[in-house]
Amino acid sequence: MTNQAFRALKSCCIGLTGLATAMMMTSAPAQAAGDLLVAPTRVVLDGDRGTEVILNNIGSETATYRISLELRRMTPDGRLEEVSEDEANAMEQAAKAMIRYAPRRVTLPPNQPQAIRLGVRAPEGLADGEYRVHLLFRAIPEARSVTDREVPDGGFTIALTPIYGVTIPVIVRYGNLQATAAIANGRMEKDADGQSFAFDLSRSGDRSTYGEIRITKPGVDEPVMIARGIAVYPEVTKRTVSLPVSPDIAAQLNGPVTVAYYEAANDGGALIAKSDMVIR
Amino acid sequence: MKKFTKAVLASSVLVASLMSATAARADTATADARANILQQVTVNSDGSALDFGTIVTGAAASTVSVSAGGRSCGAGLVCSGTTSAAGFDVTGTAGETVSVASDPTVTLTSGTNSMTANIVASASTLTLTGGTGSFNVGGLLNVGANQADGAYEGSFNVTVNYN
Repeated sequence: MTNQAFRALKSCCIGLTGLATAMMMTSAPAQAAGDLLVAPTRVVLDGDRGTEVILNNIGSETATYRISLELRRMTPDGRLEEVSEDEANAMEQAAKAMIRYAPRRVTLPPNQPQAIRLGVRAPEGLADGEYRVHLLFRAIPEARSVTDREVPDGGFTIALTPIYGVTIPVIVRYGNLQATAAIANGRMEKDADGQSFAFDLSRSGDRSTYGEIRITKPGVDEPVMIARGIAVYPEVTKRTVSLPVSPDIAAQLNGPVTVAYYEAANDGGALIAKSDMVIR
Repeated sequence: MKKFTKAVLASSVLVASLMSATAARADTATADARANILQQVTVNSDGSALDFGTIVTGAAASTVSVSAGGRSCGAGLVCSGTTSAAGFDVTGTAGETVSVASDPTVTLTSGTNSMTANIVASASTLTLTGGTGSFNVGGLLNVGANQADGAYEGSFNVTVNYN
């Protein structure tokens, strides 16, 4: 099966995705170890109380994972960009210094969960603010033995190993912090991959906002679409949010709509911002 | 198939064990902590690696690109063998938006010889419609003039970033 056929199959019938995935697996050698599960996907620490994050090896082979603290900055289009050690500002360095966690490296057999303990030790005289690091979970690839390599007769071959992982934000709020947000300029956008509903999400105050976007039509309770995990971090005052939509949802996003930004249910679910707009 | 079944089993088992653990300490935990613990993310390789196949070099520098759509073999090169882009499946909360980042370039080495490849992910943000999403990572290999034969190896980072 070609990759193109696989993609087409996937987009036309989600029910067959599992089957297609299984078929691809039998045709390709399963050489990747390091599949992983992380829960929760976001940590907010207040005060000195710590918490735990679960890491589970969901691959079929024993794997060694490394856990590290990374810095990320949000870009105006809402992506998280890597920040190197040299580029880190005072706030980011302070954030990295105050987070304690263990273990930092763990070898797990398949289906073996491990709790990673997280704590915070705020230095004396710490300025009020929101401090953030991103906890990175990543499998260390196994070294390949030399005999496994096939050296071709003339020409060359390439073996590129992906090292893949997940980051989750770890946020420490110090002091009494406030933030508000506003939604503006809702519009439909079109590119090679299809249509997206986009809008500008601005933020003011001294902390981030996080929650879900619900788009409703007047007189209809059920949202046309919900997008979860939408954040605006303190390093940006305004970002664009671009949500890919299927053709049938795109057809409904026409005329008057309400775009609302709610806190996540487990943060209280309060309304952060709301805007009525007309999409043309 | 076997691997796929195992992965599904593994995540359901963990959810079950987390649920019982949460119930057991409900009298001491706050509501915030309870709800958060159940949100999980998994990242699985779908079993395909980023594979450029076999390439026979030419007298001039050229490039070979591989994406989910297939291979494009640059002028002056001979390409053979099957190719694939590295594929990844992500599962999490339905409707969650996550961003995907990869190293922009990777250096491949074979003994003292080397070449570079540019790494391209098929998406920079991913919406987990129905709780699942997938993306793939392709590349553009920069083959030097009369690039030395051999088996070249390298590794690159791919990260799924949660907000």
